Amino acid sequence: MVQQNASKESGGFILFFLIGLVGALAVGWLLFPALLYSEKQQPIAFNHKAHVENAGMACEDCHSYRENGSFAGLPTTEQCAECHMDVTGGETPGEKEIDRFVTEYVQAGKQVDWLVYQYQPDNVYFSHIAHDGFACAECHPDVGNSEVPPSLYRNRITGYSKNTMKMWQCERCHAQLETSNGCQVCHK
Amino acid sequence: MGRRAFIGLVVGGTAGTLLTPIPWKLTDDASIWSQNWPWIPRVPNGDFELKPSLSKLDNSGVGVNVVTVKGRPCAVYGNPEHPLSRGGISSLAVNEAELLYSPSRVQSPLKREGDSLIPISWDDAKALLAEKLKAAGSDVACVSGDDTGSGTDVFSAFVAAAGSKLCFYMPAEQVDAGRAWQRLGGQGMVGYDIENADMVLAIGADIFESWGTHVRNAQAFNKANPMGGEQAMRVVYASPIKNRGAAVADAWVPVLPGSEAALALGIAYHLIQGGATSGGPGFEAFRSAVRSGYSPEKVQQATGLTPEQVADLAKRLASAKRPLVIAGSSFGQGGGQNAVAAGLALNLLLGRLNKAGGIYALPEAPAVVQGSMPRRQILANDFVDYMLKVGAEQTKAPAVLLAYEANPAYALPQTELMAQALDKVGFLVSFSSFMDETAAMADLVLPTPLVMERTEDMYTPYGSGWVNYTVATPVIAPVFDAVPAADVLLQVASGLGHNLGFESFEDVVKAKAEALNAMGGFAAGAKAEPWKVRVGGGAPSSSGVSDAVQAGKAWVSMATVNASGLSLAKAAAGQAAAPAGGEFPLVLAPLFELNVGSSKVAIPPHNVSTIRDTEAANGHFFVRMNSATASKYGTGQGKQVTIASKTGSIKARVSIDEGVMDGVVAAPLGFGHTAWDKFAQNKGDNVSKVLTVASEPGVAAPFWAGSMVKIA
Repeated sequence: MVQQNASKESGGFILFFLIGLVGALAVGWLLFPALLYSEKQQPIAFNHKAHVENAGMACEDCHSYRENGSFAGLPTTEQCAECHMDVTGGETPGEKEIDRFVTEYVQAGKQVDWLVYQYQPDNVYFSHIAHDGFACAECHPDVGNSEVPPSLYRNRITGYSKNTMKMWQCERCHAQLETSNGCQVCHK
Repeated sequence: MGRRAFIGLVVGGTAGTLLTPIPWKLTDDASIWSQNWPWIPRVPNGDFELKPSLSKLDNSGVGVNVVTVKGRPCAVYGNPEHPLSRGGISSLAVNEAELLYSPSRVQSPLKREGDSLIPISWDDAKALLAEKLKAAGSDVACVSGDDTGSGTDVFSAFVAAAGSKLCFYMPAEQVDAGRAWQRLGGQGMVGYDIENADMVLAIGADIFESWGTHVRNAQAFNKANPMGGEQAMRVVYASPIKNRGAAVADAWVPVLPGSEAALALGIAYHLIQGGATSGGPGFEAFRSAVRSGYSPEKVQQATGLTPEQVADLAKRLASAKRPLVIAGSSFGQGGGQNAVAAGLALNLLLGRLNKAGGIYALPEAPAVVQGSMPRRQILANDFVDYMLKVGAEQTKAPAVLLAYEANPAYALPQTELMAQALDKVGFLVSFSSFMDETAAMADLVLPTPLVMERTEDMYTPYGSGWVNYTVATPVIAPVFDAVPAADVLLQVASGLGHNLGFESFEDVVKAKAEALNAMGGFAAGAKAEPWKVRVGGGAPSSSGVSDAVQAGKAWVSMATVNASGLSLAKAAAGQAAAPAGGEFPLVLAPLFELNVGSSKVAIPPHNVSTIRDTEAANGHFFVRMNSATASKYGTGQGKQVTIASKTGSIKARVSIDEGVMDGVVAAPLGFGHTAWDKFAQNKGDNVSKVLTVASEPGVAAPFWAGSMVKIA
């Protein structure tokens, strides 16, 4: 009798252990990421593909370097307005989005609060021009081929994008390329 | 659920959780979150622009380039095109951008009510100032901490229009030098052509830290000593402590503070014995005074140097092709006139007047503000002497004292006595950007914008070898509710019926630029370098002053004034004498290190990390002495001491430094602030408290180099 009870209790332990294990794994791998990140959309559904394929533009036409070699990042409303200064009056989703940009930003004189997928903190000195030999998509999401910009997943605790490169990633690449990993290289 | 089942669930859940990102990701994110407080300022992202400006936080007179992003100043660099910078900047001036947002900025006009200062409007502040000035009549005085800007002209003109002669400069190296130059019969101002010298003997004057155009001096030395290249300039530095300047000089000569004149005249003795003569007036009297008062034996007693060491310095000077002697106080003030006069005498003996690499007589700035006092007249007034008499009630305190960018409550010698004298002032007005010690005790505080926020000018700072004029225009609107002091005074003057000829300071600057055109000059730059033009190199096309300064450039002129009146007759006053000793056996050597601040600016927040643990730590600061001196007076490394003089005492800890002369206590200035902010407060003590004012031999003017102290 005693042996039978022990066997039953042992089976109950294992069952609930497995339930707890699987449940925790499901929460940790499926539910937790969904809860940790908020999903954000760009204020304007910018069509990169149309600009690259239809207008024949290159990445650096909008994402350019300044004279001193620093990276200008995103274009200003004024730069966009060099082409999109007037509403199109069109009916396609793309034309409607252009018209929304023109009325809400160009005509209102406002800058677009573009979401940056890989914004680095101020204590990181990242020089784009020093990494000019790499293709953009080696580090960034391949937005150049997207018709609708991807969602940005923002960490609710840190405020950083899910795509923001972590220090170990920088260090790994530097190590693989035999580039210095000295603190002062990135933290001035 | 049974107990075992529950435990199984918990253990399984825990094990499962450990195999998910939850604990690891949350730990990582929490650490990142803890570095991202919302109040941490973010660097704005945008185009970088360089806007020319000027720094007046110290005496170097550097033109700077302000880096702005979206209009906001983010950093300050030396302007490579500016001849007093050549891309260099001092450890104080580099803080200009950050100081815009300093917690000690005065944010609005303040009026005293009892023990407090309460914010008031500018209209009320001007009305109160006008009321007090009207009631004071001619019983008004002003003290200025700026001797290169036209703002002081407005103040002196206002005081003169009120019927007073009491306009003063704060004590500074250039004030003593101006008086010494005049005493020798010099017209205008003395200029030092450092770039073209092949040997510089700096006696006391810390030419790389505190003396004159120190950034330009350091750049001249740097360019003349290229790495691996031929050395075109040698520097010999005589000072009581092996400090930063001594560390880079070719040779260091230990000399007691206050005995700089004795050393210079001791060198003159050897030069004269070797046949040197000035050929100018007063030489016979000078030779006689040097031979009787500055014999090698007397000079040894006064300086601690053997006759052979002094003779060697004379030999080095005599054998150089283009020697230059620069003498002054080792801490930028209080050195009196004798040291500067003796240094000038050496230059005259060496035939260095109006010679490349020598000294030049430069014209003073033209007067444009109606009724402003000439520099010569202001130099004749001594603020320390005046305040001592006010403190002793030998002179009545003024009904109104206007302090313009000056902090006398902190920076005057015998500080505590001087603060008591300031207390006797009827109505103290502080025109200041910062809540300094003087503002804290003032009856009315009127915030002035920093140079980056206003129009400001600078005419030929002391030490420059050529006339120069730089104008700064606002890079940014005032961050706080500040108005340029000269504009405030011009408005108040107008209301009181004093006609100073201008309605705004901007017009004063324009008029000065116009007036300077008569000197004929050029816009300085990389292809128009004044020191090369001085020796006939290059021929820059002449440029109107307005055009040059509007382009953010320094305007430079090679104009000189007649120096035929220079005489050596009064260049050797008094006699070389050993330090007095007695109850106070140690000589105090104050240290002026710019990163700790100046008489105008306390330790900038960003410079706190530059102060070493051997300089200040845990609220106290360190005085330095060598181990023999420490042992003689029963103290040692890290021990707490009280340094006392006739007039006050300070508390410090001892740091043993074998680079300090025997019988000398070296003590850094710039600590012991009671006002300002948490970055400057509760750090050590104010060395000015133990500086003791004496009467300078042969001059009878205040002098406090070589103050004597004891370890109590």
